[in-house]
Amino acid sequence: MSLEDRDIVVKMTGITKYFPGVLALDNVDLSIKKGEVLALLGENGAGKSTLMRILYGMYRPDGGQIKVNGQVVNVGSPKDAMELGIGMIHQHFTLVPVHSVVENVALGAITDPKRSFSMEETANEIEKLGQTYGLEVDPFAIVNQLPVEMQQRVEILKALYRGARVLIMDEPTAVLTPQSTEMLFNFIRDFRKAGNSVIFISHKLNEVMEIADRIVVLRSGRVIGEIPREKASEQELAQMMVGHELGEIKLRAESQAVVSKAEPILRIENLKVKGNLGHWAVDSLDLEIFAGEIHGIAGVSGNGQDELTEALYGLRPVSEGSISLKGTPLTNCKTRDIIDLGVGYIPADRHREGLVLDMSVEENLVLKGFDLSPFSQKGILQEGSIRQYATQVIESYAIKTPTPDTPVRYLSGGNQQKIVIAREVAVAKYLLIAAQPTRGLDIGSTDYVHQMLLRARNEGKGVLLISTELSEILSLSDRISVIYRGRILKTIDRRDVNIDEIGLLMMGVTSEQ
Amino acid sequence: MRSDRHILLTLFPVYSVIVGLFLSGLMMLFLGQNPLIVYRDILVFAFRDIYNIADIFAKAVPLIFTGLAFGFAYRASLFNIGAQGQFYMGCLASVSCSLYLSFLPKPLLLSICLLSSLIIGGLWGSLIGYAKARFNANEFLLSLMSTYVAIAIMNFLIRGPLIEAKGEYPQTDVIAQSAWIPLLIPHTRMHMGLILALLVAAAVYFILWKTTLGYKIRAVGMNRNAARFAGIDEKKIFVSVFFISGAFAGLAGFTEVNGIQHMLVQGFNPMIGTEGIGIAILGNTHPFGIVMSALLFGALKVGGALAVQVSNISSSFLGIMEGFVMLSVIISYFVRQRIMSMLEKRRLQEESKVKAL
Amino acid sequence: MIIEGLLARTIQMSTPLIIGALAEVLVERTGVMNIAIEGIFLLGAWASFIGTYYTGSHLIGLVAAVAIGVFAGLCYGYVTVNLKQHQIVTGTAINILAVGLALYFYRVLFGVPLIPLTVEPLSMLNIPLLSGIPVIGEVLFRQNVLTYLAFALIFVLYWLLFKTKAGLVIRSTGANPEAVDAAGINVDSVRFKAVLCSSALCGLAGAFYSIGFLGLFTEDIIGGRGWIAFAICFLGNWNPIGAAIGGLIFGFADAVSIVIQTSGFKLIPNEFVIAIPYILTIVATISRKEFRVPEYLGIPYIKEGGR
Repeated sequence: MSLEDRDIVVKMTGITKYFPGVLALDNVDLSIKKGEVLALLGENGAGKSTLMRILYGMYRPDGGQIKVNGQVVNVGSPKDAMELGIGMIHQHFTLVPVHSVVENVALGAITDPKRSFSMEETANEIEKLGQTYGLEVDPFAIVNQLPVEMQQRVEILKALYRGARVLIMDEPTAVLTPQSTEMLFNFIRDFRKAGNSVIFISHKLNEVMEIADRIVVLRSGRVIGEIPREKASEQELAQMMVGHELGEIKLRAESQAVVSKAEPILRIENLKVKGNLGHWAVDSLDLEIFAGEIHGIAGVSGNGQDELTEALYGLRPVSEGSISLKGTPLTNCKTRDIIDLGVGYIPADRHREGLVLDMSVEENLVLKGFDLSPFSQKGILQEGSIRQYATQVIESYAIKTPTPDTPVRYLSGGNQQKIVIAREVAVAKYLLIAAQPTRGLDIGSTDYVHQMLLRARNEGKGVLLISTELSEILSLSDRISVIYRGRILKTIDRRDVNIDEIGLLMMGVTSEQ
Repeated sequence: MRSDRHILLTLFPVYSVIVGLFLSGLMMLFLGQNPLIVYRDILVFAFRDIYNIADIFAKAVPLIFTGLAFGFAYRASLFNIGAQGQFYMGCLASVSCSLYLSFLPKPLLLSICLLSSLIIGGLWGSLIGYAKARFNANEFLLSLMSTYVAIAIMNFLIRGPLIEAKGEYPQTDVIAQSAWIPLLIPHTRMHMGLILALLVAAAVYFILWKTTLGYKIRAVGMNRNAARFAGIDEKKIFVSVFFISGAFAGLAGFTEVNGIQHMLVQGFNPMIGTEGIGIAILGNTHPFGIVMSALLFGALKVGGALAVQVSNISSSFLGIMEGFVMLSVIISYFVRQRIMSMLEKRRLQEESKVKAL
Repeated sequence: MIIEGLLARTIQMSTPLIIGALAEVLVERTGVMNIAIEGIFLLGAWASFIGTYYTGSHLIGLVAAVAIGVFAGLCYGYVTVNLKQHQIVTGTAINILAVGLALYFYRVLFGVPLIPLTVEPLSMLNIPLLSGIPVIGEVLFRQNVLTYLAFALIFVLYWLLFKTKAGLVIRSTGANPEAVDAAGINVDSVRFKAVLCSSALCGLAGAFYSIGFLGLFTEDIIGGRGWIAFAICFLGNWNPIGAAIGGLIFGFADAVSIVIQTSGFKLIPNEFVIAIPYILTIVATISRKEFRVPEYLGIPYIKEGGR
């Protein structure tokens, strides 16, 4: 049966949604057919997640209608969605980390009167489903002890256990290695073969091109276009996503790295750091970073990156090993001292760690320098100097804010990140640590951040870049190290990069095996 | 977000007081009293003469201190529920100095009493801060329990070494004249402690918004993680905030013992700590708001104490009024949030209509 | 004999602490702290006294305690769960109100009597056969009905939390409310019901002090023991068994303190003996590392852009 003839299983018409401060969806139409993989493509903030959450009953639309199998339905809650056969795999898993797999799956099915509550029966069913779809998992394992791709399996099993025929997947590959992504795609193909549908939300063009049957592009809450995959090209899709001609993303390789190979600016030797669960999150790690290079750390999240950067910044105790900056030991120093030595840190979660949302732009800009002259004298804040500095920075970084006095909460994500970067670049005399610096940003802001990192590097600073977006690491780094289970497996120069090799290394497979 | 409509919204604390009093009025009706008469009485009595008006200020003084104590700690996202205990420790310190050092000249004696109540109250509070810094203990529970321990200490001392000469009642002797805080207005109870309270309130404003210490306190209070990433030592903040907070409550001890009671009686002013919490919340944890709220409650107490003698309402009704006002303050936060987000939604809808044109 | 007396006393004094702590475990497992616990204890003590005084029936007194607990729970639950306001602030407001209300209405009804009014406290129920066992029989099976309720409650709550569907939902709500929401269950509804149950139990716990033990009512009859029950929930690691053990320990401290006071043992001043339970709480709070706090305790659940 050709694509056009297949039945439409879900039809959304005229969907509109308001949030405080923004019109998230503007009269969106979307239909999904049986046995198809539909990709929802768009930038961060385009409205893809919002639309799907409405379909899944987590949000209520301010306008529009949903039809499932031809009937108009009111999806008032996820319970309704599940009864209609719609399941969702969220970007941030809706799992209870301290509970076991069985408990989580049982929770997911708790509103289903047909399911018994016996743990054994549930476990058996989980094993059966796992074998059918290649999603094996130990039913009695505790979720927070499972690696990320296994946790995702639990999330999928929850939906399958509930009898989902339409599976919504929200950015499922964000946390996967290239190899795990391929395994996920195999599952999707099997699922589709059985006559089910998948709605695949993503902002990654190449993946969409690989797995989708049909592609719908969203931008700023509107449907821009809909194309069957055979007729689509990456160029066209990118243009639809962004809305204007994209210049070729320059391969940064051109600009010469000013790497001074003399003495490393940061030297980490045999570092051992304990994680929250008592295990060795960083396990005999060695690393060297030179001035004038961007050193990217590639790896699936959860392999010790967070603990490494926390240890570097004095926020987590080091059990063994040493860290030194230009010869000065940094191991287990106080954060304040590390800052004073000239190390800046762009944190992964700017809302949680980078900014005090209810403080003003200028207050956030001096978050690391308020204690020093000229911003304060003898413990009294010098408001004039602070204001002057803030005005300067706002101009040179083109930060969009009504006044320097405005609480940072009201700025856009891109502008908020500019504040963090401006501050950290000023602090980083020698070393700048950047963790997921472009998370949640649109293309324009992402580009800006990349420019800033390159500029820092060209000024002779060392930049430690940690990102789960492999493309980001590849395009910016002069050298790339792959981290796995708390250890650096290999460091590769950009000229010698091989994506398959890196993918394997991210999964712990070294070439000696 | 700075538009004119919001001026109306900033008056919310006033609205909530009115609502709270309204609810209390309803309760009065339910009990067969005429709330209008009661409120009229309260107003009339409170402002009847200089003595009463001065009394409003006198009653407000300790409330300003305990209100500042809670509010200051709250700015660091810390909960000091132990102001009552810190107050009692301050009382003990001050009354001890007053009794044993009464031979000293007045200015010196008063200064020592003031300092002792400040320091002892502060130290008592800082124990909590230290426990939180060192053991990551729950300061809510600790501060709560510390009050009961303080009461035990106070009762022990008052019935023991500090007991009055007669040995009859659990209270100290009256302190010497040289330890009495001078009055601002003669023949009233308004003493110079008021000036101290206002100075401390002003100091709180200055500390929080004009100094690096205040900056650190606010940063820790608003986002502890970001503060840590910025190299701010939160443990030091815990200890210093609890010291300062305890010191404020301790100062209330000085003003009450040396300014009003002139002795220490077991179990006096038992609700000052809790009332301080209510006042801090009503005053939006801002020194100006706290002073205003303290004055309001002072007026309620003064007027209320007299209105009670005339009408049939028991004096404990004031506690109920305080509770209602506090509850309506809390609900008012919610109402305000809802109104603001409704306004935002409407604005967005209008904007998108304009765009579509 | 003294030992038996002390142990019996321990069981007695731990009753309200255990009930209160279990109530707190129930509600905190869903992520809400019942900060109004002290106030509700007081209201329970007051309501049960009034009920029993006027009708002569203990049953009416207990029902009144539950009723007022539910009423307070309605207020607290509505403001913290539905309106999503700050739990500590709201709880404190209710505590202030509770003191005011209880005292006020006591005065309205009875004035300020010279001699406090009394009722006959709950009688001891001897459980046949079991109460005949030497030592243990005396200690465990000659208690009043509230104590037996407390015992039963330990097992009921344990079974509820760990062996039932409802328990899975309750535990998941505090650990990750998003997971519960995604399963199609209304998080606020779960929390609100937990607050109601918890408050009802706290009312009963308070009733113990007035009609269960002392047979009278004064404004400081609770004297911070609601807070001790609150602390026991923490210290017992949010587990019914832990709460029971904690309750026993503090009940023991309470019993010891009473025994010392009445025995005239003068080595430690009376005032400090009274403070033993509170000091113990401080010590326990400092030394205990909370390693199983429900992840989302104290954080209101706000659905983004939801309903």
